[in-house]
Amino acid sequence: MKRILYILIFLLVGAGCGDSAAGSAPEQWVWDLPDTVPEPRIPEDNPMTAAKVDLGRFLFFDRKLSANETQSCGDCHRQELAFTDGLALAEGSTGDILVRGSMSIANAGYAASLTWANEAVVLLEKQALVPMFGEDPVELGMANMEDELLRRMRDDADYPAMFAEAYPEQTDPISLDSITKAIAAFQRQVTSFGSRVDQWQQGDATALNESAQRGMALFFGGTNEAGVEDAFECFHCHGGFLFSQSSDDAGQVFNQKFFMNNGLYNLDENGSYPAGNEGIYEMTGDPADKGRFKPPSLRNIEVTAPYMHDGSIETLEEVLDHYARGGRLIESGPNAGDGKDNPNKNTLLNGFAMTEQEKQDMLAFLRALTDEDLLTNPAYSNPFPE
Amino acid sequence: MVVLALTSVGCDSSSGEAGTQAVTVQFAAKVGTDDFVCGDTYDNLGANDNSLQLSDFRLYVQGVELKNADGDYVAVALTSDANPWQTGDVTLLDFEDGCNDSGTPEMNAVVTGTVPAGTYNGILFRMGVPFELNHENPATAQPPLNGTTMQWNWQGGYKFLRLDSGTFSMTDWRFHLGSTGCDGDPVAGGTTVCDNPNRTDVELASFDPAADTVVADFAALVDGVKLDVNQPETQFGCMAVPTDGDCAQLFDNLGLPFDGSEAGTQQFFSVE
Repeated sequence: MKRILYILIFLLVGAGCGDSAAGSAPEQWVWDLPDTVPEPRIPEDNPMTAAKVDLGRFLFFDRKLSANETQSCGDCHRQELAFTDGLALAEGSTGDILVRGSMSIANAGYAASLTWANEAVVLLEKQALVPMFGEDPVELGMANMEDELLRRMRDDADYPAMFAEAYPEQTDPISLDSITKAIAAFQRQVTSFGSRVDQWQQGDATALNESAQRGMALFFGGTNEAGVEDAFECFHCHGGFLFSQSSDDAGQVFNQKFFMNNGLYNLDENGSYPAGNEGIYEMTGDPADKGRFKPPSLRNIEVTAPYMHDGSIETLEEVLDHYARGGRLIESGPNAGDGKDNPNKNTLLNGFAMTEQEKQDMLAFLRALTDEDLLTNPAYSNPFPE
Repeated sequence: MVVLALTSVGCDSSSGEAGTQAVTVQFAAKVGTDDFVCGDTYDNLGANDNSLQLSDFRLYVQGVELKNADGDYVAVALTSDANPWQTGDVTLLDFEDGCNDSGTPEMNAVVTGTVPAGTYNGILFRMGVPFELNHENPATAQPPLNGTTMQWNWQGGYKFLRLDSGTFSMTDWRFHLGSTGCDGDPVAGGTTVCDNPNRTDVELASFDPAADTVVADFAALVDGVKLDVNQPETQFGCMAVPTDGDCAQLFDNLGLPFDGSEAGTQQFFSVE
């Protein structure tokens, strides 16, 4: 059946070809990146185009992508919060509470693996299927409603033309594949490299005050007041242009996925984390993987509270205290235990002495990683009236 | 309709080719001696004689081979043209009728294809989706790999077996099986290897495709399983997570190793 339909369509299309736009070459996508930053890896089957990115922006913010039309991707990834939601744990469209917080999508095109602790999902095109169709927990709740989703797109006043423009080579461009590709293309160009730290690194000596500069030195291996070289050890996990070692780009030839245990919990002699939320252990079953999560990018960290995979630390001050101690002590309750002694903890996290001034300097540096343009750029904004 | 009629004429010719014959392998879903009926409640299940209302029963099979008169297994070449249940060498067996929101009214209980002309007694197959297809992009996959409820996107593959009870609340017993411990490579752009493939190999040495049926028996699958006991803070039933001890007996009954255990002998499938 398919073959015959195609022939028919070919005949029809062929007849009208002379005055169509089919002859015009697709425009070259140009990345607007500082020269300190490489281009992201682009899958061969999903080249960047302005029309596709524009379509992806509408889809990302459209509540039609949830079964009950109450939630869009953008409801958990809000621009003003650097595409997070301010919640400790994300909430799905039907009220399911997820076990982890919404991660920022800024620079997600550079992530070596996606979400907090998943070794399998490395492509934005495939990741989009998880919130759309996942059943346990329900996020957007579209499982078994793929036909309804496509119907909503076809019945819309604007989408048919937008899909046609984004996929000019396709005769029937409204498909699940074109949806996930457009959303992925939109996300890939939500880049964030406009912080004061970036400006300073590009030669603007006024971009960072002295406190932030001192904090940066401590972050990148400086000697603290107690006289310990590389006392803070931050950059070993949060280094590179992403401020996360879990980093990929078009020029990488090695898999740089990275997961580590930072001593948040220690429920028993095996280094257990609260059951049901033990990092990549749940995928690998290897007890040494208990508590291993992806170190998130620290870009825009000031506006993405609360912190850690489960939102269990509310402020950056407390995050610094956690690392200064070398792990978190929970004295009582179901999660009691000293994360400092977690057997899976990264060996660099041994704690450090931190004066009040050093703490303020670190905070000044971390806050200088905020990119105001990301939070307000109209190109990344919700196109639908609230 | 016209197109369908025309196409059928052109595509159904394989059975007429010299030296081959059409074959249909009949499957059935049962719960003990009873037929599986979507939405029905079955009693005396598992180690603790529990009752469950079963609402989904789907599985993928691949690599079906039949044993010829010489005792050699030969592959069944699947008929995939205009057949939404088959692609490559994979077939979706679908015994639910949409009684649950996750399902569809359409059902399929057969693998259809061709084999060299001859007589056959014995069958080999594997429950699962082959590695290459399992980790392709499901958004561009051909039926029966494009339906979203058999996709298992957080694990980067498909559910090879989906058995649900109840109405899909978080406290309903369910068993979803697929490959776990899969490793994605951002440079290569896909999945490279899975620690636990979780594909069950089945051989039923005495099986006449003209007369016999391959039975997938839920009661045999949950034999010895404590259906009313759940390891704390894990999903009810088993999502094939290697850390969920509730999976151990189920895996054993499927002839699969679990968390380092030796593989048992599969008892889910039998001949009737």
